[in-house]
Amino acid sequence: MTELKELKKVTRKLASHKIELYQTRGYLQCILQNSADLIFATDVEGSLVSFSKGGEKVLGYSWEEVAGRPIKDFAEDPASFERIMGACQEKGSAVALDVPFRHKEGRTVFCNTSLMDLTNRKGQRVGMVGICQDITRWKKLQEELIRVDRLAEIGRIAAGVAHEINNPLAVIGEASGWAGDLIREAKGLSPDDRHELEDTVKKIGDQTRRCRNITHKLLDFARDSAPTKTAFDVHELLKRTITFLEPEIKHTAIKIDLNFAEGPLLVNSDPRLLEQVFVNLMTNAIYAVLEKGGDNGRIEIQTLKANSEIEISFKDNGVGISDEDQTKIFDLFYTTKPPRKGTGLGLPICQSIVRNLGGDITFESEAGIGTTFTVRIPIS
Amino acid sequence: MNDQPTIRVLLVDDEEDLLEYLSKRLLKQGFTVKATFSGEEAIEAANEGYYDIAVVDLKMPGMDGVETQKRLREIQPFLQCIVLTGHGSIESALESGQQDAFQYFLKPVDYDDLVVAIKDAYKKKIEKQDRRFRQQLEELYSSGLGPKGMKKAIKDLRQIYGIE
Repeated sequence: MTELKELKKVTRKLASHKIELYQTRGYLQCILQNSADLIFATDVEGSLVSFSKGGEKVLGYSWEEVAGRPIKDFAEDPASFERIMGACQEKGSAVALDVPFRHKEGRTVFCNTSLMDLTNRKGQRVGMVGICQDITRWKKLQEELIRVDRLAEIGRIAAGVAHEINNPLAVIGEASGWAGDLIREAKGLSPDDRHELEDTVKKIGDQTRRCRNITHKLLDFARDSAPTKTAFDVHELLKRTITFLEPEIKHTAIKIDLNFAEGPLLVNSDPRLLEQVFVNLMTNAIYAVLEKGGDNGRIEIQTLKANSEIEISFKDNGVGISDEDQTKIFDLFYTTKPPRKGTGLGLPICQSIVRNLGGDITFESEAGIGTTFTVRIPIS
Repeated sequence: MNDQPTIRVLLVDDEEDLLEYLSKRLLKQGFTVKATFSGEEAIEAANEGYYDIAVVDLKMPGMDGVETQKRLREIQPFLQCIVLTGHGSIESALESGQQDAFQYFLKPVDYDDLVVAIKDAYKKKIEKQDRRFRQQLEELYSSGLGPKGMKKAIKDLRQIYGIE
């Protein structure tokens, strides 16, 4: 009788353990299925035996594609990943920050990675569990912050230099102007000498203006005063910009298409600053189309209105921007134009202005096909 | 310039080389020019002679451009100021705007633009001055002053408006 009682007791206990086990497994499953992190388990050899749903998102592979493959193959540098695994074996666990993995599409994914050794009851190694948190976005943001900060610093220094140069530049300008005045009225000069002198003085003046153009743009860039906002129609401003650039477009075959949202596009922003952005983007578009040549040059200006912001895009079918240049176009002084044509200030200035107005500027480009720049700014 | 009255320009800038060439060019073009190298010197000049336009550098050792403008206009209320600066700060520009600067230029200014600004500023000055002058003359006529008082009042007006 007592044996039967005992057996019933054990069975009950077993059943409750089973339920507990079931619940624990469900709980773990839930974590594995819902975590955004890549959570994996490997066997002793380091080959994958489990791979979480989050992992499919982080690396782009499905479980079927990775099953049985060595985890180190997904790291950008398998050798250094093996070293982390080695450290884990030695100490039972290992943590490594910023480990670069390779996404299925080829891009790099940075993960904060922690590894733990798995042992069975007898203390024998059976494999390894790893949790990898994707910090790529955060890392990019941080890099962007550093870049913006550096840009601002360069801007401040450059503006200081520009300021110091403006005064001597003014002297050179007036001195050459005075020389020009004198030559014009000088008597007894041979026509050849006169021509030579006039030409020389004109060149000094031209080059002074060229320097001035740069220093003024730099000062514009570094100026971080608050924008003066007024209500105005962006469509009107765009039309004014086109009229302003008319002399540059007139003698080309470039066709300008306006694809405006219906009605006026009213915003509360700084029209003077925005005009500067529009002129810069249009000038770049015109340049890109002329670079490509041919008679089908086309620039499309499109406007869209959303709930709280407006979008203005400038689409050209010019030469486009090479992949290499795409990462650098917002860098100060970076230009692909030949000397004298570009200062490398246009786009950084545009970016700084648009951000100052609370918006952002993005682009899409394909070399040989064309480029689209899109400016988004809040309505007020 | 021969068909127009001579415009009297007061230049104020501590950059002596710049003023040398600027005044030579303006003189050649028929302006009457006085070059001063500090705010203090400019005030002195304004106490001694009459000017239509002052071209003032914003940043100078001693009295700065904003203060100089203010003091100049106290002496000669119709004087129009054109502000030059090597600095890109819009704040100073706005501040100088509070002193009613006619125009604001970032150095180096294009010479032709400066000449246009001087001529425009002169037009504005004459308009303002004429309006006020007529107003004061009318007040004078209706004031019922005797010949002696009238003579003195007109002499005072002459001085204010720089009519020799």
